[in-house]
Amino acid sequence: MADELKPDELLDKIDHTPARGSWMDTSVQIRPGMYCYAAKAESVETLGLPNARAWNPLEDDWKLPENWQEILHNGLKERLEKFRTFKIFMDICVRCGACADKCHFFLGTGDPKNMPVLRAELLRSVYRNDFTHAGKILQSISGASKIAGNRPLTLDVLKEWWYYFFQCTECRRCSVFCPYGIDTAEITIIGRELLNLLGLNIDWIATPVSNCYQTGNHLGIQPHAFKDMLDFFTEDIEEITGVNVEPQFNKKGADILFITPSGDVFADPGTYTCQGYLILFKYLKDKYDLDVTWSTYASEGGNFGFFTSHETMKRLNAKMFAEAKRLGVKWILGGECGHMWRVIHQYMDTMNGPADFLEEPVNPITGTKFENAKSTKMVHICEFTADLIKHGKLELDKSRNSNISLTYHDSCNTARGMGLLEEPRYIMNNVCDNFFEMPENTIKEQTFCCGSGAGLNAGENIELRMAGGLPRANAVKYVHEKFGVTHLCCICAIDRAVFPTLMEYWVPEVDVIGIHELVGNALILPGEQKRTTDLRMEPLPGMEEEEMEDEDE
Amino acid sequence: MNFSKADFIEKLRKNREKIINQWFQAAINTYPPETARILDKSKNKFDNPVGCVTKQSLEDVWDKLFHTLGHENRKNENIEQKEINQEKIEEALDPVIRIRAVQSFSASKAVEFVFELKGIVKKIIGTSLNSSFEKKVDEISLAAFNRFMKCRENIFLLKATEAKRRVHKAFERAGLVKELTEEQLLSSNNKT
Ligand code: SF4
Ligand code: SF4
Repeated sequence: MADELKPDELLDKIDHTPARGSWMDTSVQIRPGMYCYAAKAESVETLGLPNARAWNPLEDDWKLPENWQEILHNGLKERLEKFRTFKIFMDICVRCGACADKCHFFLGTGDPKNMPVLRAELLRSVYRNDFTHAGKILQSISGASKIAGNRPLTLDVLKEWWYYFFQCTECRRCSVFCPYGIDTAEITIIGRELLNLLGLNIDWIATPVSNCYQTGNHLGIQPHAFKDMLDFFTEDIEEITGVNVEPQFNKKGADILFITPSGDVFADPGTYTCQGYLILFKYLKDKYDLDVTWSTYASEGGNFGFFTSHETMKRLNAKMFAEAKRLGVKWILGGECGHMWRVIHQYMDTMNGPADFLEEPVNPITGTKFENAKSTKMVHICEFTADLIKHGKLELDKSRNSNISLTYHDSCNTARGMGLLEEPRYIMNNVCDNFFEMPENTIKEQTFCCGSGAGLNAGENIELRMAGGLPRANAVKYVHEKFGVTHLCCICAIDRAVFPTLMEYWVPEVDVIGIHELVGNALILPGEQKRTTDLRMEPLPGMEEEEMEDEDE
Repeated sequence: MNFSKADFIEKLRKNREKIINQWFQAAINTYPPETARILDKSKNKFDNPVGCVTKQSLEDVWDKLFHTLGHENRKNENIEQKEINQEKIEEALDPVIRIRAVQSFSASKAVEFVFELKGIVKKIIGTSLNSSFEKKVDEISLAAFNRFMKCRENIFLLKATEAKRRVHKAFERAGLVKELTEEQLLSSNNKT
């Protein structure tokens, strides 16, 4: 275990390995499969961010502005003054090594620079050199700087920043184990912000952000296509249940505005979770006259701006409150997503609040006050659904999920970022009989990241994703082999997008499912016909023969 | 020194732990030293997945190899070249090779540790190896190479089809897109 590592031992060892030289000297090897393509100039331009141009990380010349060192120096200075946590994190690490083996990217890639302490040290070494008294004195003594872990900001160092800050999913697992609570995710956030000052974003982030800025969602889907997709789901649901669940769009004066990541609308298997929401809202409308509206403008809950800079995150987030105000709803309900909730929970209120035109959220059906959402006015759908179940307000037929054996992946952002641990489990246990936890050092606060968060869910970095997802997949494999788990359940759109691939590589027998897909299967709609299939049009347990007959007809 | 086949096998049996441990060390020493130290530390397979899976995989491969040798021995003192079950060996190698296929190893580096088994065994039992044993280690090396290539193919296929499976499948079901061009299919960029 890491606690066997003595203070400074870790870095001493690294510094004095003769064959490979100091970790600070080895220049970075940018390896295909591990990095994401450079941001397209037009996307950077749309956002008005600096240094929009075509560039290629594999080429020597990154087409940087001439005074790039000065830009970074000033950027770093500004952020040290602005973010107190960042300054503290730069100063207080004692290099105890407790975080070293806690990062899924280190565990999966075996690359020491993916140890959180070294990831932070990439930036810290420059900070020490440029901003501390000791650093300045040591600069004048030859050879002394390196011993103290200082180094000047060279092009090699910059490239290393870029390579490794885009190998961190900002998952915060390392911070759980740090005795000082140092959050390397925040260091990565600042690191990426600095890189953006030079136009060094990746395209998988820059283009969705630019799309989102222009059309309201990451894929750049126009309002009519957004509506077409939900209409199509409505048709499918009618075929399965016999009930028309037609949603409302942009309805002024509705009780609740519902916002979910666009992945639920446009990407499998999130689309089935989306159908679950539609079924739930129809049920609540018929039974309790609850009026929920979707928005074709606030058509994205996700926010890749978060992976760019604080300002960009703020710009994209603003539409949530703006749309709630325009429609005059009471409060906002949010769908199953990870980073969307980190932004809402940790930043939205101070960035774009106070939303004093909204009401403090109360579930009109149960009377429950959502105290934790008092200020943001935005409730997580798992809290909402769990509350409904707890008060006996949903009629559920668990047997419709009885062919499923579940395990649950705590998304880093909902689990570590906002402490949403019990509600999802409560729902799962109420809609399915077979639930098995993964080992405790891989769930809840200690959950292992999917390996593709923070904007790293591209295609070109697939080796990085498969390696980063290894610790998670390893635990899934264990419950699959031990308990016969068939489905990995999650409440995050990125998880739903990336886990099918991760599972196919590591545990191909396991499928991926969202919680509200399970709810949609189990919930008994008023006036529904006898269901023979689940939302994926697969026969329900015990209905295999009927389905066969239907097909024969 | 002249060893009979039976003596040789007995020595292997007695030294199982030692051989596997040294083989494991050889495998993890292919990582940077800072990493190798950590891979050797925790025995918890969730805290240390790569170290534990590697160890387990090597144990499985060793036991399969030993089983074939022992089997041969019982049947025929004269050491006939009985083919080691290629598929079983590949399965036993899969966990360790599957990991190495997504790490920064070239094909040769990824499977190199298998060859080291010869030197390790030779050193531990202090005798030249019998040719049957050497041949079997060669077979395992080839199996490792096979499995490595399969994993790489797996990766390329996943890369090529992921975008289609994720987004385009939903669009196709909704009738919003018709056929996909090859370019769309193989593009890893998020052009929409
Ligand atoms: S935040 Fe997560 S990905 Fe980043 S260094 Fe820490 S453990 Fe690794
Ligand atoms: S970040 Fe925290 S846990 Fe990691 S080396 Fe520094 S003080 Fe120790």
